[in-house]
Amino acid sequence: MTGKQKKQITSAIQTILILIAIFIMLVPILWIFMAAFKSHVDVYQLKLFFTPTFENFGLVFDAPYYLGDKLLNSTIIAFVTVLFAIPIATMAAYSFSRFRLRGETAMLVVILATQFVPAVVIILPFFVMFRDVGLLDTRLGLILVNLAIVMPFAIWMIKGFIDGIPMDTEEAAMVDGSSRIQVILNIVLPMAAPGLLTAGIFCFIIAWNEFLFALILTNKDAVTLPIGLALFKAEEGDLWNLLSAAGIIIMLPMFVLALIIRKYFVQGMTMGAVR
Amino acid sequence: MRDNTLKYLLVLPAVFVVFATAIWPLIESLRLSFTVGRLNRPGSLDQYLGWENFTWAFSQEPAFWNSVWVTAIYTVLTVALTTLFALGLAMLLAPGGKFRSGVQTLLILPFAMSPALIGVSFRFMFNPEFGLFDAFFGVMIPPLADVSWLADPVLAFAVCVMADVWGWIPFLTLVLIGGLASVPQDTIEAAQVDGASGWRVFKDVTLPQLAPVLAVVIILKSIFSLKTFDQIFMLTNGGPGTATQTLSHYIYFNGMKYGQIGYAASVAWLMVIPMIFLTYAYAKFVFRKD
Repeated sequence: MTGKQKKQITSAIQTILILIAIFIMLVPILWIFMAAFKSHVDVYQLKLFFTPTFENFGLVFDAPYYLGDKLLNSTIIAFVTVLFAIPIATMAAYSFSRFRLRGETAMLVVILATQFVPAVVIILPFFVMFRDVGLLDTRLGLILVNLAIVMPFAIWMIKGFIDGIPMDTEEAAMVDGSSRIQVILNIVLPMAAPGLLTAGIFCFIIAWNEFLFALILTNKDAVTLPIGLALFKAEEGDLWNLLSAAGIIIMLPMFVLALIIRKYFVQGMTMGAVR
Repeated sequence: MRDNTLKYLLVLPAVFVVFATAIWPLIESLRLSFTVGRLNRPGSLDQYLGWENFTWAFSQEPAFWNSVWVTAIYTVLTVALTTLFALGLAMLLAPGGKFRSGVQTLLILPFAMSPALIGVSFRFMFNPEFGLFDAFFGVMIPPLADVSWLADPVLAFAVCVMADVWGWIPFLTLVLIGGLASVPQDTIEAAQVDGASGWRVFKDVTLPQLAPVLAVVIILKSIFSLKTFDQIFMLTNGGPGTATQTLSHYIYFNGMKYGQIGYAASVAWLMVIPMIFLTYAYAKFVFRKD
């Protein structure tokens, strides 16, 4: 066998392996997509060809499921979480990036570490406290605990973006008599805007997919989409066509958001350990 | 305002939020772990109990040890399998690989999927009557035909591992592709010119260069594996029996279903300890460049 032939075979094997990998990766997602368009009869059969129907997407919003309420809750909770997190994180990130602070490394390590604390540990005291102050099953309650999981990501991500902005423009403006706050508002914020948007979208996805907090803190009024999945059960078992339709409603917006920020996903998740 | 004051004012809100949402609950959990802590008995949250919750877990609770074992095996398997598959896939897609950018885009999708939803979709696919995987494995491995996967302790555990690995391979692959891109191409070519085999090049050139990224990936995945809850809850809810009950699930059940919040807090704190070591190791890599 010549070297050229050998190369061709290797390349063919490579292609086949990649195709298999793509297939395995997509099958569970495609399966849900198919099931969402199957009638309640077809979904209980292993059919690949069927008459698609949109009825499931109507049914999930009707009684008794009212997925619209959960969609609204999820949207408001994730959005407000981001709205709180990003400005607070940006202020801190700027300071960490541009100044030397006493105890800076310690602060950054603690912020990093909070991301790794198991959610069950955090939620136990919050459940007790929220029960006492009446925040159980409220959107506000969920927003507050969601801050615990998005803040570390937001601070680390935005710090990474600001680190990448050269300091000379800022310094020049300061020499011209601008105050530090003017510099932050007029120079740094516009330059960091794409980074802030990226971090915001990243945090939105995390808050949207959050499960354990919502499971423990909500039961009726503030139920979010992932918890809403538990609704689609009947006495005879899971209602797979409705579950799948709800699943699409949960994942499709996140797919779109993830594609927008795909370049920064790795950096965000590893908090700068891998660039 | 002088920068010296401003720089502390700027971090103040963030420090406050992190303290209130992460540090306070950690400390409060620690306090609760030394109390009787029953949700339905108001005074019990302040009723000091000493180390009894901890000794109870160690000596009187086979279910606790069960969840420790489940979590340990689950972590080892998911970390090893995800890393191996992701490394393989990253090598396939690495510089010059085909369809690289297209596949990289696809890789984002499973990762944007909520873990709870991954749990649901795998439960769906392993349904004994109309599940896709169930049918597939039934054809490939005949003894597995008509087996009720999620009703069998070992197979249910295997399905949980599969769902986890499926959900995490894409992310780890993306990280490793980034790592591979930073391995200098000329070193690899030089080794190839010297006549080194593909395996030798990988073992002696690529792997050592990749080691730091690999370490980050393994630590990060270990942390997330140890914490696993969402998928398990939706996929098997810890069952059958307690065959797939991870520590997080065990804590959730004791704290929320049985209302033993003091006991749950003590087990939760036992879980924090390995996290501290992993976080320390991880922080070393994050600060390596500074």
